[in-house]
Amino acid sequence: MSITHDPTSGTPDRTLVSRRRLLGAGAAGAGAVALGACADDGPNLPAEGEIVSVRTPSVPRRDPASPLWDDAPPTVVVLEGQITAPPYRREPVVADISVRSLHDRDDVALLVEWDDPRPDAATVANDGFRDACAVLLGDPAAGEELRFMGTQQHPVTLLQWKADWQHDVEHGVRTIDDEYPDRSVDAYPPIVTDDPLGITPADYVTADATPWLPGLHVGNLLSAPTRTRCVEKMIAYGFGTTTTTDTQDADGWGRHDGGRWAVVVTKPLAAHDAGELHLRPRGSATCAFAVWSGADGDAGGRKSVSTRTYRLVLREAHGPSPFPS
Amino acid sequence: MAEVWNWQLNRTMQYHYDEVRPRRQAAAVFDTNKCIGCQTCTMACKTTWTSGHGQEYMLWNNVETKPWGSYPLAWDVKALQLLGPQHWDGDTYTGDTIFEAAPEDKRALGYAPSDIEFAYPNRGEDEVNVSITREKYHLKMPHDMWFFYLPRVCNHCTYPACLESCSRQSIYKRPEDGVVLVDQDRCRGYRVCYEACPYKKIFYNHTTKVAEKCVFCYPALEQGIQPRCMRSCIGKIRSFGYVSTPDEARDDNPIDFLVHVRKVALPLYPQFGLEPNVYYIPPIHVDSDPFLTMLFGPGARRAIDTYVAAMEGDDRELLAALLLAVSSDRIMTRFSVDDDMVSGYTDDGERAVHMPIRVPNVERSPFDPDLNVYRLNTT
Ligand code: SF4
Ligand code: SF4
Repeated sequence: MSITHDPTSGTPDRTLVSRRRLLGAGAAGAGAVALGACADDGPNLPAEGEIVSVRTPSVPRRDPASPLWDDAPPTVVVLEGQITAPPYRREPVVADISVRSLHDRDDVALLVEWDDPRPDAATVANDGFRDACAVLLGDPAAGEELRFMGTQQHPVTLLQWKADWQHDVEHGVRTIDDEYPDRSVDAYPPIVTDDPLGITPADYVTADATPWLPGLHVGNLLSAPTRTRCVEKMIAYGFGTTTTTDTQDADGWGRHDGGRWAVVVTKPLAAHDAGELHLRPRGSATCAFAVWSGADGDAGGRKSVSTRTYRLVLREAHGPSPFPS
Repeated sequence: MAEVWNWQLNRTMQYHYDEVRPRRQAAAVFDTNKCIGCQTCTMACKTTWTSGHGQEYMLWNNVETKPWGSYPLAWDVKALQLLGPQHWDGDTYTGDTIFEAAPEDKRALGYAPSDIEFAYPNRGEDEVNVSITREKYHLKMPHDMWFFYLPRVCNHCTYPACLESCSRQSIYKRPEDGVVLVDQDRCRGYRVCYEACPYKKIFYNHTTKVAEKCVFCYPALEQGIQPRCMRSCIGKIRSFGYVSTPDEARDDNPIDFLVHVRKVALPLYPQFGLEPNVYYIPPIHVDSDPFLTMLFGPGARRAIDTYVAAMEGDDRELLAALLLAVSSDRIMTRFSVDDDMVSGYTDDGERAVHMPIRVPNVERSPFDPDLNVYRLNTT
């Protein structure tokens, strides 16, 4: 498969990704040293438990390799298994992730990077599962409950990037045609055609035949016949309540290179749906993270999750970068 | 974990949710002795519900040949193997259910079949229980070679493993009739239900990427009409209606009568613990009691004896109840027997059928004087 760089946003740069990994490792230590010394307008070093979102003129929404990310200090987030609600994942597949954040006047963006030797972006077969990552955002007063999908008082805004959705954006929605192109089919009623194997989900929409694709008929985003975004925005008020929002304005892009995913996830600062987190410049949020490994059969509760919540701090002033290019 | 009553096991068992029974439970009885394996039910369901893109491999209704047939491949053998040897003590199940035997990280013990396991829906079709040799063979009674057809749909279980395993609560059991459905909007394609259902009757749509399953033709049920696969049954092996718990069983409810009163209809693999609501009259010519007990529980031999006695003319009421099977498109929830006639009534009390329990033997003269023709036997 090919998960490629978004062609609209510059040339991919492998060296940047690997350089950031090195810096990320160092910054974890630097962050610990800088504990408490991180005033609002001070250097952009994260304090313990902090992720500093650096102000930038325009966030690279679909460019995980943008040099702009060098301005954002990385925070290493340790992951653990999920053992709160079955199905569990006892041991994490991914030990840790690196997180950076940038924001501009309108959007906040997070760059999540983790090791994954094999990209998995096919969810057609019964045993096909995707790689994915999610950023969970809640109001600053939210505590550890954020990691458990929030509560009525502190709902969670979930931004989930999905490798298969990105594949859909790049190459068209993947269906049974991709897995079993040589299958035998007489007809796909009620569509009348001499070439049933040429039928796509979009044809059901044109033919006003969506009841034959029930997920599509009821508007489930997983069943969309075409796709332009690979990040889904959802709201949750506790376990099992995750619901896709009416407004889908989250965005992002992933890049798999050298056995590592680098994924940008963005959302507008302003909330557009009930329960959604509204962020302000100089404001902050509570956040947590999750990563799914398709090769390991991860889906739903089978995921690696951050061991704690973090404070995402939006720095208005652009302090001196500790990582000059 | 809650402690719930499973009457099919004659004991309480562990389940994730409390015991909440629907106002009434949709159920069916399949007479395996009458099934001819024609697959008309399979096609009726296929053309009604699963002819869409991504549903190619799905057979919400399938008919497999036992002992060797299975769809998906070896589904029951695998489920039984996972569970390991278990025991009944009389009518009480002393083994573990798939909920009680669940590994720590899951709610139910199960496995997820791969695509290839669905690729041979007719594997083992018409294969007999023993290998045929070159030695001389003569027919004996009871047969020492046998096979039978096992038609299967979702069991709309009282304790569905699919529902229990779904962390998103995308699967629900309707309070009005106990039909188990997948909310197509909430499902996110995690496929834990697919792994949990031991009957492998919940499927993943390759194109819409969400789970789908038999809906018991609920739009028909809501109009008092029997499901598609039942209505199309050529062998008239299927009775559809509503089953009560044993303590509330009514003698005049055809399903209760077959399941609770005469006890000729038994659940499939009750030991899994789901309290499935499709009941089977076991095949009378299978001479292996252990095999029958494995499939239908400890009541199998008793059910066969009762059934055979009725066929020999000892039980008019049982014959009458069996005769109702798909004798009308309408769902009959009450029946009565007068003299040699059986009547089936709908929920509204309307008589849907009125027919003789035994078809009278009529001898006709070879000449029809009204039409002035000879009646010719063309066969
Ligand atoms: S048979 Fe399987 S799919 Fe049907 S209700 Fe029971 S557990 Fe669910
Ligand atoms: S009851 Fe309806 S949906 Fe279920 S198997 Fe029969 S025809 Fe298919």
